Amino acid sequence: MTPAAARRAGRMIMIQGLVLTHGAIGAELVKVVELILGPVAGLRAETNQGRSAKQTAEVVTGWLEQLAPADGGLIFIDDYGGSCASASRLGGAESARVPVLSGVNLTMLLAFVTWREELARAELVQRIIDQGRLAVTVVGAAR
Amino acid sequence: MNLVLARIDDRFIHGQVTVGWGQRLQPDLILLANDEIAADPWQARVYAATVPPQVTVSVRGLGAAAAALRDPAAALPGHERAILLTGSPADMHALVAFGVALDRVNVGGMHFQAGKLEMLPGLYVDRDDLANFRTLLRRGVRLAVQAVPGGREVLVDDGLLAAVEARL
Repeated sequence: MTPAAARRAGRMIMIQGLVLTHGAIGAELVKVVELILGPVAGLRAETNQGRSAKQTAEVVTGWLEQLAPADGGLIFIDDYGGSCASASRLGGAESARVPVLSGVNLTMLLAFVTWREELARAELVQRIIDQGRLAVTVVGAAR
Repeated sequence: MNLVLARIDDRFIHGQVTVGWGQRLQPDLILLANDEIAADPWQARVYAATVPPQVTVSVRGLGAAAAALRDPAAALPGHERAILLTGSPADMHALVAFGVALDRVNVGGMHFQAGKLEMLPGLYVDRDDLANFRTLLRRGVRLAVQAVPGGREVLVDDGLLAAVEARL
């Protein structure tokens, strides 16, 4: 069910987001999202800093467990080849059918918050990736 | 086969290893020695998925890893430069006890857990870790705490271990 269809049926679906990164990248990105869009519910930042692989995976597991099944979620990580990627998978993202998107940038998070109540999750994922890639460019160059 | 780095790191394969040490040392093999991960093919695949394509990952239990390191030409053919990873001092000590000759060990990630005390910034130990460090030192292994190449290196010696133990 798309979020729009859910609304018509009198239910509210809001896909949750976890931004799991090295250092404070995720926390700062979420802060900036809120500076731009105002307070945002359902978007949490976590770090691998100070945590072993197992401890970071436990953070992911805890976040997955609190997701409402109807809402679902997305995990954003900063690097596809690092401990955040491993921890997301070891923490259960695949078995929970929660996509893990790497290369998180500000545009991706703005797209997530903007479209998560409008698009079904598969479409949302593609929109986020498309928007995020568009944002990686030479400023001023013709597209 | 040349063992270019033996490292204790409870994150096992991650950016500091694949990018930090990997770019400096150009390994063609990462040998991850851990009983739990070796017993779970899915976990092993997850860790192996995070390395650059030119690097092979071999995940083995401690006994099998030690056997491979004692006879790498037979067990790990075709590899020239290997990084060995364990998740704890106890596992590195176990490899040495199984007959693996190591003259130096890099101490990387040992993150906070209940009951552990900070030995150096970001590096947490308990009495078991200290005992294993001591045994490795007695066996002639040089222990150096260093997260990434070019980072600050701190040698672990009996004085440092005694000072930490006094605070435990």
